[in-house]
Amino acid sequence: MAILEARNVTKVYETRGVETPALRGVDLEVEAGEFSALAGPSGSGKTTLLNLFGALDEPTTGSVILEGQCLGELSAMELADLRLHKLGFVFQAYNLIPVLTARENVEFVMELQGVKPRERQERAEKLLAEVGLADLGAKRPLEMSGGQQQRVAVARAIASGPRIVLADEPTANLDSKTAGQLLDLMHTMNRERGVTFLFSTHDPMVIDKASRVVRLVDGRISADERR
Amino acid sequence: MGRTLGRFENRFESLRLTAQMVPHLLDRTLLRIAWRNVWRNPRRTGIVVTAVAVGIGGAVLTMAINFGMVVQMVETAISTDLGHVQAHAVGYADDPGIDHRLPAGGAAVLAALEGREHVAAFAPRVRGQALVFSPRASSGVGLIGVDPEREASVTVLADSITAGSYLDDTKRRLLVGEALARRLHVDVGDKVVISVQDIHGDLTGEAFRVQGLFRTASRDFDAGHAFVRLEEAQSLFGISDDVSEVVIVADHRRRVDGLRDGLAATVGDAALIRSWDQSQPLLRYMVDLFDQVGWIVYAAVFVAMAFGIANVMLMAVHERIREIGIITAIGMHPDRLVALVCIESVFVTSLGLLTGLAIAFGSVAALGEGIDLSAWADGLEALGVGTRIVPTLRLDDLTVPVLAATITALVASLWPAMRAARLRPAEAVRHI
Repeated sequence: MAILEARNVTKVYETRGVETPALRGVDLEVEAGEFSALAGPSGSGKTTLLNLFGALDEPTTGSVILEGQCLGELSAMELADLRLHKLGFVFQAYNLIPVLTARENVEFVMELQGVKPRERQERAEKLLAEVGLADLGAKRPLEMSGGQQQRVAVARAIASGPRIVLADEPTANLDSKTAGQLLDLMHTMNRERGVTFLFSTHDPMVIDKASRVVRLVDGRISADERR
Repeated sequence: MGRTLGRFENRFESLRLTAQMVPHLLDRTLLRIAWRNVWRNPRRTGIVVTAVAVGIGGAVLTMAINFGMVVQMVETAISTDLGHVQAHAVGYADDPGIDHRLPAGGAAVLAALEGREHVAAFAPRVRGQALVFSPRASSGVGLIGVDPEREASVTVLADSITAGSYLDDTKRRLLVGEALARRLHVDVGDKVVISVQDIHGDLTGEAFRVQGLFRTASRDFDAGHAFVRLEEAQSLFGISDDVSEVVIVADHRRRVDGLRDGLAATVGDAALIRSWDQSQPLLRYMVDLFDQVGWIVYAAVFVAMAFGIANVMLMAVHERIREIGIITAIGMHPDRLVALVCIESVFVTSLGLLTGLAIAFGSVAALGEGIDLSAWADGLEALGVGTRIVPTLRLDDLTVPVLAATITALVASLWPAMRAARLRPAEAVRHI
């Protein structure tokens, strides 16, 4: 069953009167439990599509549907709620909140959800242990390595119990060993917790590991390979 | 048309977000993040805190000095002449002179004052115009006949003697202000002639000897008044035992209006009862004027502060576009984001406010002995203000800056906060 769908989605960016098409009619369904990758060269539209799936941007035409709900029909507040409860994000540049510790970063999303302090603290500690950072909960992002920060970002992404985690080039800033470890971590979460992952990437290691690879070229799907 | 509609929608959205963010201003998570954000750029925070502190500290201190001057001006007028409340004959207000008197020594008023609550002291007076002649000069004066003992309890006259002595039982004695003495070229022990037009319109006069010189905080008062014993003034003006006025001092400034109204109700048409600000409307005007100047000072400080805060918060938002994108992406509502920026602004402003108030209150405490302004004595004495101003704080000097600074911080941060709330998350998370 598809939890996320793009129906004939186009996206055109306009800068100073110049229109640049990023997506030219994409139809795609992501099913629960997938460990999928959107692959393609720079400028192929994979990040744009990920942003549309993440309700971070709006399509120019077409519609994005999450669990049967068309995102275009929702208000800014409803979209924020949807991101909070149904989506998790991992960004290329880690993007943790620098003034919060690792544990507070993981807790933050649960605070927004209204989870009680004791419960969210326990859950945050468990998640940090799960990503191998049990001892680094009190560290702030700038006191951690890139790999450690990205692990915290993964813990934060799944802390809210999302239906799907959208990861935009999550390994791009990491060395291959750290990237491999991070990928293994997310794969384990996919298998053991049933968390759906959708990556945008051009990292061969991610593509190799993915159970499905959707290739984009010039804003169109050129191949959709299930393994 | 489309652009106009867009602006309207933007403003409506801003108003909606402003209303919705209010409950989040006390959100513990936001408070914690905002407080840590304040210290991310200590130098910038320090500059803003210093600017706000200097502005508020300066404004509060200015107000304290202003109010100190006003208090002194009013106290000088009350303690040298007016008292808190005055009783006159009906008609005196329109034609202040010897023709309007309280009969029988102001017996009706004195009877109403005896044993009355909140009355600290009272004294009857005769007040009329006179010419004082010395061997070398003459001058028109306000001649005031007083009961020396009672007068000493309502004014500072007895304590203002700088040469000679206060009035006693000795007959035909006169007190003159230092300034008047200089004009007449007389000193203690010298003889002068006081000439008045009595109740019948006849010119009459008596010789008096200068018993003492006085100096109050008001140069004009000193240059224009002379004091004799009550019965001698009554005799000069030929008004039997009538008096011109009864001056009353209340046991506290807060009681003045109540005392005035109560006394007026008791004496009815027998006398005109007025408080100091009614009998001297110019003094009330001066008090109001000082107050208005104070508000202008506050307004100027807070308008300047608002621009400074808005600028700093815009910079803070601009520096953190990516971070704002992240917290929006992970699901923070725009109204909470607006609240976060506003809280940060309130924190920075509050630090400046507390520092400024500490500076102002500390300075006022340090200046407890007063500021010596004797270099400007002439100008100050002309205003009826002494040369030592004691800065005086009011409750308003605490509540107004606190409220105004909080409101300024919130209002000034709304613009940057709205900019933050309108950032598109997809672009913001990519911002470098």
